[in-house]
Amino acid sequence: MELHDMISGFEPVAERLTLSGKEQRTAVAVDPETLDVELASGAEGHLVVVHEKPTASTLRVHLAEGASLVLNELFVAEAFTTVEVDQEAESRLKLTAVELGSANARYTIQLRGAHAESEVNGLFLTGGEEHAELTIRTNHLVADCSSRSIARGVAGGKSVGRFEGMVYVAKDAQRTDAEQQNRNLLLSDQARIETMPQLEIYADDVKCSHGATVGQMDQEAIYYMRQRGIDEQQARRLQIAGFVEELVMHCDEESWCSAVSELLEAKLHTI
Amino acid sequence: MLKVKNLHASVEGKEILRGINLEVKAGEVHAIMGPNGSGKSTLASVLAGNEKFTVTAGEVEFEGKSLLDYSIEDRARMGLFLGFQYPVEIPGVTMANFMKIAVNEQRKFRGEEPLSAAEYLKLMREKAKVVELDTKLTSRAVNEGFSGGEKKKNEIFQMAMLDPKLAILDETDSGLDIDALRIVATGVTKLHTSENATVVITHYQRLLDYIVPDYVHVLYKGRIIYTGDKSLALKLEKEGYDWLINDYKE
Repeated sequence: MELHDMISGFEPVAERLTLSGKEQRTAVAVDPETLDVELASGAEGHLVVVHEKPTASTLRVHLAEGASLVLNELFVAEAFTTVEVDQEAESRLKLTAVELGSANARYTIQLRGAHAESEVNGLFLTGGEEHAELTIRTNHLVADCSSRSIARGVAGGKSVGRFEGMVYVAKDAQRTDAEQQNRNLLLSDQARIETMPQLEIYADDVKCSHGATVGQMDQEAIYYMRQRGIDEQQARRLQIAGFVEELVMHCDEESWCSAVSELLEAKLHTI
Repeated sequence: MLKVKNLHASVEGKEILRGINLEVKAGEVHAIMGPNGSGKSTLASVLAGNEKFTVTAGEVEFEGKSLLDYSIEDRARMGLFLGFQYPVEIPGVTMANFMKIAVNEQRKFRGEEPLSAAEYLKLMREKAKVVELDTKLTSRAVNEGFSGGEKKKNEIFQMAMLDPKLAILDETDSGLDIDALRIVATGVTKLHTSENATVVITHYQRLLDYIVPDYVHVLYKGRIIYTGDKSLALKLEKEGYDWLINDYKE
């Protein structure tokens, strides 16, 4: 599915999206300068944000008790975005960010109520002289919340990709369950990946993990695929696609998956 | 089908193959045995085109063409299949997608139309039966989280899908329990016709109870030092390689 078919399939929103309790909606925002998202207690929302212009953008999201939001953000232009999500008790966030080239995305998740859960999946894919940055900060402010931040980066050509992750656990945020993971694939020796996975923990009864890796193409896998008759370039693309799709394809919206998959495939031909 | 003449190959300056001569005709099954480090896997890799190895002398004719002039993928498309001793995991790439691309690349090479989704599914189901492969595995990433037995069954499943002229199976029996060995070996036998040929590299006679070879070759220090019929494998199982190696030294 093409990007614009996906976009036209959802209800357009600008500046403000409000969902009352028990309401379920899917909305799309294209290049929003500012967007305030408010989900009342029990509301379920799905929001797609697409950046087609190189502009600055601010998103503020508030999830009331028990609200649940799936947020998918896609960068096809060099946008600079700041997203802040406030989560009350038992609210759920599932956020997926895909940067297809130069972009700068900063996410801050505030877990303010017990049993709030957040899952942030971020991806950048750069080639040429592109520069992508992805920052995910999760603040565990109260006890009994869980968070997962998973980021993957692929850099080819002379591009630069940078991930900064921070999981902050306040003194009273006991029984926090937090995972932070960053994996990267370098496609050329002139490309660069910078990764800063960080933890700052002030509570003493927590389960927190973090890790980062930077790897290269698996030549054995390329050989294996070529032995089955797949040419080298395609084998490389398949491997990169496998690396990134693992992350972005666990999605809840078919049209998003198929549009992103098509854009990824096109991007892979250029890096 | 395959004529290997005086093949020499090395890796990192070290000569591993030191003059291999081998002829395989359509309809034949050849077994290659020999002690560890004799060059069996290297021979398979060099024929497949693995770029880690450098061919320093000799020639290989495959279906009338000079095999060594072709890329890894073109050799595969021409009908050469290598069953890997250690099948590689490819995270995020499903078996179904991987094989679909492979099958269609081969069809393109032969000037045939790609298979439709329905035709492909049908082919996949049919070929999965050859090795009793659970079709659920085809929706998983290639070899990822597969058991040792599943990985080897998966190699033979791929062989069935690609229908090669020449299959070289590199220690396909290693790491298999008795049941998996029977299934894998029976699968290979089912795929054998008078039009194709199979070369099995193995350490054990037990595989050859199922895949009965026309010729058994003993590879030692990069050369085939002895060729016999299927009874040679039995003798080797009982007596080891010493008698041959000692002969060879003299």
